[in-house]
Amino acid sequence: MSDFITQFQFVFLESERYQLVLQGLLATLEITFFAVLIGIVLGTLVASVRSTYDKNQEELKKHGGIGYFALAVANVICKIYLTVIRGTPAVVQLLIAYFIIFASSNNDIQIAIFAFGVNSGAYVAEIIRAGIMSVDNGQFEAGRSLGFTYVQTMIYVIIPQMVKNVLPALCNEFIVLIKETSVAGYIGIMDLTKAGDLIRGRTFSAFLPLIGVAAIYLFLVMILTWLVGKLERRLRVNER
Amino acid sequence: MSDKKIIRVEHLKKYYKGDKIKALDDISIDVTEGEVVVIIGPSGSGKSTLLRSLNLLEIPTDGDIYVDDVAITDPKVNINKHRQKMGMVFQHFNLFPNMTILRNLTIAPMKLLGVSKADAEGKAMELLERVGLADRAGAYPDQLSGGQKQRIAIVRALCMNPEIMLFDEPTSALDPEMVGEVLDVMKELASDGMSMVVVTHEMGFAREVADKVIFMDEGQLIEEGTPEEIFDHPKSERLQSFLQKVI
Ligand SMILES: Nc1ncnc2c1ncn2[C@@H]1O[C@H](COP(=O)(O)OP(=O)(O)O)[C@@H](O)[C@H]1O
Ligand SMILES: [Mg+2]
Repeated sequence: MSDFITQFQFVFLESERYQLVLQGLLATLEITFFAVLIGIVLGTLVASVRSTYDKNQEELKKHGGIGYFALAVANVICKIYLTVIRGTPAVVQLLIAYFIIFASSNNDIQIAIFAFGVNSGAYVAEIIRAGIMSVDNGQFEAGRSLGFTYVQTMIYVIIPQMVKNVLPALCNEFIVLIKETSVAGYIGIMDLTKAGDLIRGRTFSAFLPLIGVAAIYLFLVMILTWLVGKLERRLRVNER
Repeated sequence: MSDKKIIRVEHLKKYYKGDKIKALDDISIDVTEGEVVVIIGPSGSGKSTLLRSLNLLEIPTDGDIYVDDVAITDPKVNINKHRQKMGMVFQHFNLFPNMTILRNLTIAPMKLLGVSKADAEGKAMELLERVGLADRAGAYPDQLSGGQKQRIAIVRALCMNPEIMLFDEPTSALDPEMVGEVLDVMKELASDGMSMVVVTHEMGFAREVADKVIFMDEGQLIEEGTPEEIFDHPKSERLQSFLQKVI
């Protein structure tokens, strides 16, 4: 036991190496938080285009014109985005963002936020779209038959019912994202994982630094999972 | 009953899969103000497609629909405005499950007609009173029986002050003991002079309430006439064999 304490002191306290862990944790949280925001905005946008196109295709085709054309083009762009992002590894996307798209920038954290945000947007979009489709089409028809426009029907009728269905899945997506960001070290960011690895290199001791980092991830994920569970229970209580 | 035509349908066609499925095959009908039109026919004959075309929930392949002499099939027409005047009642009620009954009834008048909350609720309560459900105003849809839900769905449409009501098999999803309470509300509505188009398998209702009965089969209008003509003196063989099966 005293062995463990000595070891712990050496690995984390000497030369204030715990500072590295804190810095790394901060970077991980920062990247995840802002990537989540971008993911929500992008995902909602893409899901809106895809759902609007699916639901109004027939009506708009009849009208023809620029509106239909614009929506059809937007829909194709969204489909390509979804296919490419979900069909390639996040690390590769991160490297492309770093070495190709933003080759001239050196704000690594922002690049990572961008890359993970764009990545997460694709998954969020599909979660939201599935949520919209999970609401019975009769709800949509009831809204339209009362005279609500497509957008009003979405806002007053569909989205309030959809949110309940997707909130837990969305939160889970962000729990996944926390772990996904652990590849940020590939572009030289010192996130939580990289911090653990750095300490491993400096102390020539693998066990404590890596297990310590794993424990922090696990702790974060467990807290968030617990919160999601609470949220789900609350949604179920309000369910009517 | 005036003789103003509230709805005119001319050569309406609805095809699926190119023209392999002819859900509606050149249908022409009209509905006079205050008239109750009942559509009967075997399953898959195009009754729902015809009814749902009237407020463009289905977009026709060809043909014209006039509501108050406006061609709603013209893409330039604002269909949302027209739907406000056309109440619709569905087989599966389609009440909004996340809203109270009162909210179900007031949301459309408030958002679409600009009615104040107090006025919308006043009217909703008055109508709830009439269908005997005033005490359920604060309940949620899944706390109600099927018959109650359908009566609420009728009231929801009525809260928009529609000129015409469309019903698509409003009693088909109900337990038999609840059919009567919904039909009673519809009868009362008819006797108040509401223009109605009703798809139903309730032949008793058709005979008693309809001014005009339309028999459809395979997307075509086979026979059209008064309840006496349709039920007592069916001309076509298809109608005769249909009536034998259902009565
Ligand atoms: N979305 C669709 N795609 C293909 N066929 C359809 C679709 N909707 C309806 N139909 C077909 O159109 C015909 C008429 O359907 P419907 O109007 O629902 O009949 P009814 O209400 O009289 O039972 C049926 O043969 C049905 O299979
Ligand atoms: Mg039908």
